[in-house]
Amino acid sequence: MKNQIKQLLKSGKFMVGFIVFMSILLFITIYPFFVPGNPLQMIGYNSFIPPGTYLSLYDAVNPNVFVYTLRIPGAAEARIVNTLPMSDREAMRDWLVRAGMPEAAIDIYDPETLLALWNANYDPDERIEGMILADHRAYQRLNNRIQGMFDASALRLYSADPETGEPQFQAPITDTDYIALSDIVNIRRLPLGTDNFGRDMLKQLVQAIGVSLRIGLIAGSIATAIGLLLGLVAGYVGGWVDEIIMFICNLLTVIPGFVLLVLLAFSIGPAGRSVTIVGIVIGLTTWVWTTRAVRSQVLSLRNRDHVNLSKLSGHSLPRIVFKDILPYIASYVVMAFILQVSGAILAEAGLSMLGLGPSTTEVATLGLMMNWAMSFSAHIMGAWWAYFPVVFVIALISFSLNLMNTGMDQIFNPQLRD
Amino acid sequence: MRKRILAVLLAAVFCFALLAACAPAADDPAPAPPEDPAAPTPADPAPAPAEPAEPPDPDAIDRSQFARAPFVFPDEISTELPRNETVYHFGHQWGPSNGWNPFSDEMNNPLAIEQVGAGARVPMFETPFMYNFLDGSFIPLLAIGPPRWNDDLTRLEYSINPAAFWSDGTPITAWDAEFTFYVNNTYTAAPSPFIDRVVAVDELTVAIYAALNAAGQPLNPLMLDQFIIEEYVLQQAWLEQLVERNNGDIGAMQADPGYDVVWSGPYTMYFTNDELTVLIRDDGYWGQHESMWGQLPVPRFLAHPILEDNDAGLAAMMAGMVDVSQMFIPNVQNLWEVDGLPISTFMDSPPYGVTVNMPTAWFNMHSDKPGIHNADFRRAIAMAVDYDLIIANAMTNQSPSFAEVPRSLMNPTAGEQALFDSARVAPYQWDYQMPNVNDRIEAANELLDEAGFPRGADGWRTYDGQRLPAYIASVPFGWSDWEAAMEIVAAAGEAIGIEIVTQFDDWSIYQTFVTAAVHTEYDIFMMWTSSASPTAPWERAYNLMSSDHVGHDHNWSGNWGAWTNARADEILSLIPVTTNQATLVDLWTELVILYLTEVPSFSLMYRPDQFHAVSEAVWTGWTEYGDGRNVPPANALNGFAIADKFNIRLVG
Repeated sequence: MKNQIKQLLKSGKFMVGFIVFMSILLFITIYPFFVPGNPLQMIGYNSFIPPGTYLSLYDAVNPNVFVYTLRIPGAAEARIVNTLPMSDREAMRDWLVRAGMPEAAIDIYDPETLLALWNANYDPDERIEGMILADHRAYQRLNNRIQGMFDASALRLYSADPETGEPQFQAPITDTDYIALSDIVNIRRLPLGTDNFGRDMLKQLVQAIGVSLRIGLIAGSIATAIGLLLGLVAGYVGGWVDEIIMFICNLLTVIPGFVLLVLLAFSIGPAGRSVTIVGIVIGLTTWVWTTRAVRSQVLSLRNRDHVNLSKLSGHSLPRIVFKDILPYIASYVVMAFILQVSGAILAEAGLSMLGLGPSTTEVATLGLMMNWAMSFSAHIMGAWWAYFPVVFVIALISFSLNLMNTGMDQIFNPQLRD
Repeated sequence: MRKRILAVLLAAVFCFALLAACAPAADDPAPAPPEDPAAPTPADPAPAPAEPAEPPDPDAIDRSQFARAPFVFPDEISTELPRNETVYHFGHQWGPSNGWNPFSDEMNNPLAIEQVGAGARVPMFETPFMYNFLDGSFIPLLAIGPPRWNDDLTRLEYSINPAAFWSDGTPITAWDAEFTFYVNNTYTAAPSPFIDRVVAVDELTVAIYAALNAAGQPLNPLMLDQFIIEEYVLQQAWLEQLVERNNGDIGAMQADPGYDVVWSGPYTMYFTNDELTVLIRDDGYWGQHESMWGQLPVPRFLAHPILEDNDAGLAAMMAGMVDVSQMFIPNVQNLWEVDGLPISTFMDSPPYGVTVNMPTAWFNMHSDKPGIHNADFRRAIAMAVDYDLIIANAMTNQSPSFAEVPRSLMNPTAGEQALFDSARVAPYQWDYQMPNVNDRIEAANELLDEAGFPRGADGWRTYDGQRLPAYIASVPFGWSDWEAAMEIVAAAGEAIGIEIVTQFDDWSIYQTFVTAAVHTEYDIFMMWTSSASPTAPWERAYNLMSSDHVGHDHNWSGNWGAWTNARADEILSLIPVTTNQATLVDLWTELVILYLTEVPSFSLMYRPDQFHAVSEAVWTGWTEYGDGRNVPPANALNGFAIADKFNIRLVG
């Protein structure tokens, strides 16, 4: 045993898989301590807020925040480039040309004169002959965006009088005003943005990985336990017991497991589909191939000398099975268990994608996250953060588990052993 | 003013044409040749039919002058449609069509056949009038001149346009209208309760008689208004054949594909298969006469691809392969603001469209779970829902908020909002009184504590010492905005200690449950309300509160939660026959307060009758907010929205 563990530690594949898997476990264990709170809290009143750091505008313009003056060279230019990128300037030039300006008179590299020219000529209500509505509206939006961008004193802070609602002048905001980030109380980091409900994606993902692993463990344990028990009995006892078990196995092999899973999950109903129940249901539908594999291993073991010796010594059936046979297939069972866990995680994802997993308001799971991303067209509308991390995590978990399995296989399987 | 002068001028032209027609020496003018559909500029008002000074007199008009040649089907059908002659629609049809029979509602051919209160779909079959839900106006289509009511609102009359002809070259007459009603009302399981009969007064005059109550008053005159914009007029000769060849068997008549149907509209059947339904322009269409549109519609083909789902349709639209779409596109503004695509909605900013419908969550009175029959319990759930979140995230702001348009029985249009006394209703509008959801949750918790549903040790509420069961909340599977909205209702339940579990079932299953006379599968479920129509908001209130709908199988008309209230029924019967404005406001106010106190259901959002997004990859000139054309955003198909088909032009 010790020797085998030593060998495992030397196996590159196993170790990579193991480290990846453990890193995921470590991450989901410690992350909630750093960012506490309910991962299902709907905080965003916009769907699919992109990843980023969000600071409270209300706090930032609070008159009590200390304002520093910094004259940073290039700040104004950077602001202009950000507000009026080249693509917009080209669009402005196109409009002016279509409105009858000579192209030579327009210099898009001089934003200030360009804007002056624009303000002098652009009329948001004028519809240029042949211009489609979408372009017409795009120019109106552009026009609104760039108003006052060169006027450093354009922004003033007002507050509403609590009695009359009249605006009261508070302070001017100039382009050299800076505040320290540390002075702003409310900053929220959304490393993976939000989903369609406005829930923090990373927090959800952390919970979902935990839940999916739990489902995987429950399902894997059940499937392995049933598979092992039936396989041992069928293989060792043989005769009609074997036939009955194999008959059931064959029957279930013919029925696609996922269809059975869907039917079972549906018949339980939404109120009953908790994480545990989903895990149990997956476990109950995926034990078949473990049974078959264990049985065939047992068939080759049952006529070994030490088993016969044990029989002759009058040992009981359970003792023979558990003491003389099980240890020989234990490594195989562990590998099968790992694959069961990986398969169950995928099965949950598939089930939740169909809306047959646990409830959305109850818990986050990887499948549910993908389901919602898909039904709100995240994949078409470019909200990659709503589905890619989930897909990536599913791939990573199943990759690490499979890598561990392959690594173990190379050590325990005599045919593959170097 | 300009419009009125134009109308008078056109009327004069029309009268002159009539006089000229009567003059014995006048040559028969040939039907106007199809005009070059050179597009008018967007600033032009939508083409509107002329209004004659008086109803046309059939004896004084020789209709043969307007005669058209029968439509001849093209010898060859090409499945390759020229892109610059085809408008592609999407979001109406999800499977192959069964035929072109307008009598049937089983054709699954929504591009050609749809008769709804917000205005029937008129490319192939036509109604006497077109409805414009933007201003509630009626625009003559088969009719000419306005509808004419008698004083006690028992009889509605309209005249058929003498220029209106069937596709087989025969004139459309009042007898067609009379016979259509006769067939629709005879060969049906549910004859109209509101219309007594339709009578042809003469060849061109149709009179519709309202069904009367015991006191001799019309049951609901609004329904007659709705009738003339909702029900197609079909050809008597064809209907006779339909009845005869199916021996008057309703099922067989419904199943008849009607390939020999005769139509009056500007488009007709071209082909339909598993991938595409296509209509082709009928170049002999009567409506190109100057008394109607004065031109043919611009696109030669209307097509509807049959795709797997909304995502496929959206991808096609983004690629410029779909021109007009009726589908909910989450974050639709990203299409132009982020992706820079030439796609637009009616308005450039939220709510992007005209929201006239109110998808509503219903409590199911058939459920025997505790609380459902308690008004305070129902109100607590409704109060605790974060509607801002539904509107921001489930509807992605394609609805005004309930702070902007406080809840009632009315949609956000100004006309409906003016019907009740908002000051008297305000104290009952919880999301108006308490705009912050946390305040509402607190109030809902208090309400439940007082109503006898205290929290148990585990935080979930109890009744009679027993933990409340989980309430099943359902919407059809895949209706993503509704699914998300219901999840937010479920989250509200959690906040007040009531376990609400969502269950999304396939539409085919869902609708069987919800429309059954008695159903217990769901405790809370979502359905729509009636949209914009001449009968709104009465019909919406009737949908939401009338006991008339309770206890019927195949109930598609409303009150699916089966809540009943005698006073609500009484008010609903009084409103249609009340003409005194002050009394009417009192009745509406009382009804709204009753609805907001009893909470048999609660609306979750406002929603357009049809989503309407257009692509300008190929065609431009679609209706837009504030363009002065006053064409409703209804996919250029329903009611007066068809006017867009006469206005669009190719890009570039």
